[in-house]
Amino acid sequence: MNTKSALFKEHMVELRLFGVLLGLMVVLSLISDRFLTVDNLTNVLWSVCLIGIMTTGAIYAPITGGIDLSVASMAALAGILANVFMNTLGMNWIVAILITLVIGAGIGWLNGVVTTKFLVPAFIVTMAAKTYLFGVAMLVSNGDQITIMEPAPFLQIGIGKLLGIPIPIYIMFTLVILSHILLKKTVFGRRTIAVGANEVAAKLTGVNPDRTRIIVYTISSVTATIAGIVMASLTQQAYAMNATGYELDVITAIVVGGTSLMGGSGSVVGALIGAVMVGFINNGLNLLDMPSAFHPIATGIVILVALIMNQGVSVPAVLKRWFARPGAAEAAK
Amino acid sequence: MSNNVKSDLLLECRGIDKNYNGPQVLSKVDFSLRRGEIHALVGENGAGKSTLIKIVTGITNRNAGTIVFDGHDVPVEHNKNASEKLGIAVIYQELSLIHGMTVAQNIFLTKEPLMPGLPFIDIKKMNAMAQEMIEKYGFDLKATDIIDRLPIAQRQTVEILKALSNKASLMIMDEPTSSLTAKESERLFKIIRMLKAEGITVVYISHRMEEVYDLSDRVTVLRDGKLVSVLEGEEITPAEIIRLMIGRELTEDESHHKMVDKRDREVVLEVKNLSAEGKLNNVSFKLHKGEVLGFGGLVGSGRTELMRAIYGIDAFDAGEITYLGKSYSPTVEKSIASGFGFVPEERRLQGIMGGISITGNIGIANLDSISSPAGFVSRDKELERTQTAISTLNIKPANPDHLVGNLSGGNQQKVVVGKWLIRDLKLLIVDEPTVGVDIGAKEEMYQTIDRLSREGVAVMVVSSDLPELTRLSDRIIVLRKGRIIKEFTEGVVTEEEVLRAASGIVEGGAK
Repeated sequence: MNTKSALFKEHMVELRLFGVLLGLMVVLSLISDRFLTVDNLTNVLWSVCLIGIMTTGAIYAPITGGIDLSVASMAALAGILANVFMNTLGMNWIVAILITLVIGAGIGWLNGVVTTKFLVPAFIVTMAAKTYLFGVAMLVSNGDQITIMEPAPFLQIGIGKLLGIPIPIYIMFTLVILSHILLKKTVFGRRTIAVGANEVAAKLTGVNPDRTRIIVYTISSVTATIAGIVMASLTQQAYAMNATGYELDVITAIVVGGTSLMGGSGSVVGALIGAVMVGFINNGLNLLDMPSAFHPIATGIVILVALIMNQGVSVPAVLKRWFARPGAAEAAK
Repeated sequence: MSNNVKSDLLLECRGIDKNYNGPQVLSKVDFSLRRGEIHALVGENGAGKSTLIKIVTGITNRNAGTIVFDGHDVPVEHNKNASEKLGIAVIYQELSLIHGMTVAQNIFLTKEPLMPGLPFIDIKKMNAMAQEMIEKYGFDLKATDIIDRLPIAQRQTVEILKALSNKASLMIMDEPTSSLTAKESERLFKIIRMLKAEGITVVYISHRMEEVYDLSDRVTVLRDGKLVSVLEGEEITPAEIIRLMIGRELTEDESHHKMVDKRDREVVLEVKNLSAEGKLNNVSFKLHKGEVLGFGGLVGSGRTELMRAIYGIDAFDAGEITYLGKSYSPTVEKSIASGFGFVPEERRLQGIMGGISITGNIGIANLDSISSPAGFVSRDKELERTQTAISTLNIKPANPDHLVGNLSGGNQQKVVVGKWLIRDLKLLIVDEPTVGVDIGAKEEMYQTIDRLSREGVAVMVVSSDLPELTRLSDRIIVLRKGRIIKEFTEGVVTEEEVLRAASGIVEGGAK
């Protein structure tokens, strides 16, 4: 009984989000009879896969009070590099993926080192990385949209299905589970949260904040690289502009999922629900045949609403106070 | 309430109730302030002082009760801006001035004088106005001083000026002397009396009984969210206040102040000729098993720097440290692994992780013992350790999931100490263990340190609270300007002797 209620309390954020998600689904299924079909739901999951995969690693930076804006450029570059290794240099596809992952890890490590050792804010470091990685991607790909025709097993990563469910969905759920365990059940997870909650206190308690942050940015780049490889395989394309703007979707998913950008707490499952929610909203707009211009509008509104809710401010109280202002001014006279 | 008749009460709170979605923090509290009085608000941590102040200043809203300020009814939906407009000012414990700005800029922030007809700030006029105020009160400041370069005591006077410029009729000071030296405190008391003479009401919150005794016209005592008593004039004595606050008499035991020679015991730590540029100069001492070694000295004498160097936070230039017979070059991680515990001086900034739970705070120091070699944390073990810490130290509320930031100061400090107690502790360093902690929790902290020492843990205590230092220590080392100036090893040591040494007046041959 006691443990049950504790478990319930611990997962309050996720449960609340899940409730909102179910509500959204009910609304969408009432609006459109095409919504609640296996095909449509699979499609939504499929479309949120890339964001979902990136989120599993990118969430750690906000938990430490930082941010990683380089994930989209990293993903685009990863696809291009994997293609070069496989199709230009003729490497085995597994070897190519492994080398790409090592490069991704190296770039993340560099982000972490510049942030911690040279004391440049993560926002600036990763924005610079976003810019130069995009440049490198353009350079390597010549700015072309390169179609990837082979090898066949590589293409299966993105378009293959297992028991009728696309493989990227399996990859995403595997990473969500791993990341959830990493955050909630391991020493590393505890240290990450501690660094975000109070770096000085964490340091005096034996946590090495620099080392923790370097690992955090490395993980973030690795999952972005994985997303990039899945994306290249899924779209059969290596293209520098393939993931443009995805970093904002990733951050949206993370904040909608209840992670504070101030650090000290976070939920991987919440971020996944956040990503799915954004996917459903876009899907709903599609089903209603709304122009695609509405998608960014909806996403923007969702970010604001989520952040307002996360602040724990009572909206009616704020509005009441706002409207009470002129009266209050008169009373002060 | 009529506005015409000015009652002699500036503030009148009646039947104030407050609960934060659960436990009742205040119940039916009456609190009133007369015009131009110095009114002390005392009580143990968790007694409801801060909550009452937050309600008066509009930071939080009451659940029930009425408040009348200066003849105006204060609505339940009170807020900070409204309270400032009414003339209520808080001199914050953690100062709220803006760094990088001058004294004048801070005083006139958002109400800067403008050049006639232009939207530009008239800096000359602003500085002159600020300087005029400073001179009126005889403060040791210049209008153009940058905040960052002023010591805490002077920043506090800037806060007071800021409040005065807002035409505050009520100033609330929360533990204003906690980071001041004795001399600076005296100066603050003078200022407080000056404010009183101007008809300003001052609410004074402090755990230092002698200050409350010296200053106050009246004292309101809270206990467990209820009003216990309002004392006035002759009724105000430190013993009486303490009795009302905790409901039991504290007996001052003379033997506590007697030094105990434990130097024949095993040496745990030996420091030889430790020096750090501008901070420490040739510091040497030995610390023995089960010994409580107190470090006295004024703020800035190098005590904290010495502790940080030994624990491995800051590097030192020269000298040797030997720990348990082996040469030791400290890093924080190594120190923790070798049985050190460290309770830092500034609890909020360095001690607690306010946004996470008691379990999270305690777990982080004990990851080595609650996790598997593969790096997985055992939740059961973590919870068990936390429960042990909670029950050994009587942490309230005894809920492992409670956010540490929402605990009272005393309980936060217990968490910071508690995370080390569940380890195989050999050496505990505590820097100012009871700043901002109420008397009950203070006594518990002393008993914990006594117990640890009996169990053989070597303890180093830094404290500016002289009764505390003499009460706790088996031996006292006094630092001045980075060097050891005096050591007390035997007999009864009085606070006066320690203070004299710390101030540089040492008779009988300084080292």
